[in-house]
Amino acid sequence: MMAEDKKEAEKIARCAMCADMCKYSCPTYLATGRETLSPQKMARLIVYDGKGLLEDENGFLDFMFQSAMCGSCRKHCIYDDYDLRKFIHQARVKAFDRGVVPEDVRKRVDAFREFGNPYGERELIDKGAGDTGYFVSCSSYKDEDLLKATEKMFSKSGLAIRRFGGGDICCGAPLYYAGDMKGFKKAALKMKTGIESRRLRSIIVDCPTCVRTMTETYRQVGIELDVEIMHTVQLIESLLKQGKLGLRKKHGSVTFHDPCILSYDLAISSTPRQIITALGFSLKEPVHSADHTHCCGGAYGAKIGDHRLKDVVTSMRLTELRQTGADIYVTACPTCKSVLSEVNMKYITELVAERTVAKR
Amino acid sequence: MKVKTYMSGEGILPPGFIEKVRRIVGDEHFSRREGDLISYSLDYWLYGVFLSQKGDLPALPSAVISPASAAQIQEIIRYASESKVLITPFGGGSGVLGAAIPLNGSVVLNLQRINRFLNLDEISLTAEFEAGIMGANLELELNQRGYSAGNIPQSLYCSTLGGWISTRAAGQFSTKYGKIEDMVLGMEVVLPDGNLLNIKSVPRRSVGPSLKDLFLGGEGTLGIVTRATISVHPLPELTVKQSFIFPSIEAALDVVRRVLRAEARPAVVRIFDEAESSRYFPGIGRKVVTIFISEGEPEYTTLDARVIRRISRENGGKSSGEEPVDIWLQKRFDIGLGPVLMQYGGIVDTIEVSALFKDAAGLYRDMVAGMKAVEGVLEVSGHYSHFYREGACLYVTFAGVPKDPLRYYQDTWDAAMKATLQNNGSISHHHGVGFWRIQYLEQELGASGVGLLKSIKRAVDPEGILNRGKLVDGGR
Repeated sequence: MMAEDKKEAEKIARCAMCADMCKYSCPTYLATGRETLSPQKMARLIVYDGKGLLEDENGFLDFMFQSAMCGSCRKHCIYDDYDLRKFIHQARVKAFDRGVVPEDVRKRVDAFREFGNPYGERELIDKGAGDTGYFVSCSSYKDEDLLKATEKMFSKSGLAIRRFGGGDICCGAPLYYAGDMKGFKKAALKMKTGIESRRLRSIIVDCPTCVRTMTETYRQVGIELDVEIMHTVQLIESLLKQGKLGLRKKHGSVTFHDPCILSYDLAISSTPRQIITALGFSLKEPVHSADHTHCCGGAYGAKIGDHRLKDVVTSMRLTELRQTGADIYVTACPTCKSVLSEVNMKYITELVAERTVAKR
Repeated sequence: MKVKTYMSGEGILPPGFIEKVRRIVGDEHFSRREGDLISYSLDYWLYGVFLSQKGDLPALPSAVISPASAAQIQEIIRYASESKVLITPFGGGSGVLGAAIPLNGSVVLNLQRINRFLNLDEISLTAEFEAGIMGANLELELNQRGYSAGNIPQSLYCSTLGGWISTRAAGQFSTKYGKIEDMVLGMEVVLPDGNLLNIKSVPRRSVGPSLKDLFLGGEGTLGIVTRATISVHPLPELTVKQSFIFPSIEAALDVVRRVLRAEARPAVVRIFDEAESSRYFPGIGRKVVTIFISEGEPEYTTLDARVIRRISRENGGKSSGEEPVDIWLQKRFDIGLGPVLMQYGGIVDTIEVSALFKDAAGLYRDMVAGMKAVEGVLEVSGHYSHFYREGACLYVTFAGVPKDPLRYYQDTWDAAMKATLQNNGSISHHHGVGFWRIQYLEQELGASGVGLLKSIKRAVDPEGILNRGKLVDGGR
């Protein structure tokens, strides 16, 4: 065994013998009450699979698709140098190579590989000018409210923006989470070409998963993007600081749902709250928020392989959010917005656009 | 299965059992999948965890049933009792004595779907939860509303309220807030005949022996706790952290005894021996460090801290400031070393016992010396925590890299239990009995005590279906 492999094997073995100190935060475990989906038990199964101790290997691989891959276990891990998702992902790659991915995931992969979106249609967005891009993700290009709000915000703040993406260019995350590494690399290369051909120097992205994929995950397939990537809330924060947005303050209560990747991987949780309070709203926090947020269940990222499991995770999150009784529910991820639509979830840009007035 | 088990029994389910249970809980909540059976094969009994890395598991369950309500549990238990199917309740799976290991081919009754916050009574200072809620989530629910249960065990992030009740647990802040038996006011329990027992929430009652005490430490052998009402406390407005270095364990124990005699009530008191001090506080080194946390209403807390400071200084304590307290607060949930050592043949475990102040120092000396004499032991260290006016809990951590792991494990435990009993102590302060400590039970309770417990078990659970092989070994 190579030294690096040995080190990695020690890490997962360590996790498999830990007391599961992170499971209280794991959304799939909490929503199902199923010990097998707790991080430590997933690790034990991975270790046993590596030692050839499992008879039902397809059953094991199926469990590996029952993670939200949200990163709550990494966030609350007692070890600083460890991310269980890496090992779950390796198992997914194995499953994909063997052709044993769950049916829901397979269908999604087929659509994404062909069209770069889950809708089975090809619609490239490419308009505007300038070296700052706004990448319209697969999860937002059908969201007219979000797109209109974003346009209004750009317009009122006087930004020249090149919009690109939509139904043709995908960051590749759904393929990555499905274990399709060839498809993922192809998508990553297409993204890189798309950015370079447009001579973009910075990109604004509304989807946290896209941000993480383009800044971190691409490195796993040897791709680096020579461009600054920022999430929309970072742009809004910057515009407010520069005084480029005139705001008409309004009262009311807002519950902010922290998207898992935004909070756990991108470590952004105070910025959206500062924006919301700057708009004049008061915050009503759910019990599980910021560092303790719960995944919405996801959809476009295909992180959870089974729609029934996705539904129970979503249901748990909706219950948690409803308990705040806020006037408005807001998030900063187009997938979360769509999945949690039962509480009339808005994307934070919509809130900003509604309160934006022309600067005098 | 390719995994090996060393304590499994016959796990043949009677005809019709599976279909009936599936109808009760729904297909997706009954499982015999390999991954599920492996996941419910073991709790955090550390010798079992040590063996598990090689695929050696104590016992696989015959199936895993995950009910969503007390009503479903009643149906399942009633049917299991009729069919003589053995049931092992499983909460957070964090117990360290093997109480949740599914011995004898039993079926696991997974309680983790019953995990909701139910209500908070701010007038009476009580809150009700379903028993499967994880400790950390119970605290998050209360903290959000401005309260805390005050029960913060090291297992906070992986144990459940039901588990706390069933093991008679204690948390790190127990000197002020009490142990779980001081916190639980009422509970709902499914009995082995399937009937529901509701013990209503009142501050105290005088109507015969306390029924709730059957289940506080019952380890799932007498009933299944499905919900409980506990006392809560407003979040502290002021926290005062202090630490002192004392010349010896004896001197530190004497100071804490005087502090409690003076009616001060720090939430946290911990006396670390030289070995633990040097691990926690390398800047201080091999000295006896004692930390105190006083918290609550500002005026009272200020006074509490002042009394502690005066008594400590008057009795040879040298102040070492707030830093050791902050370090402890930061490291108190870190169990990271054990899983690393175990990969290299090491075994790490902990033993918690209790004794009166008059015996406390002798217990520490005898226990550490006895355990250190066992072949293969590398380190034995200890701290006192969970203080009372009368005595304290001694918590010992031991590690070794033995040639014969089982011999080593048995011998260190034997040495610890022998020293405890010789010093008039109790063999367990808050981890419970499970199956591993049964071997010492008679020395603790006497033949009459064990006989009484077995009689109770037989009366409550005549078929012995609930958690057989634990606490009183199924009443047989």
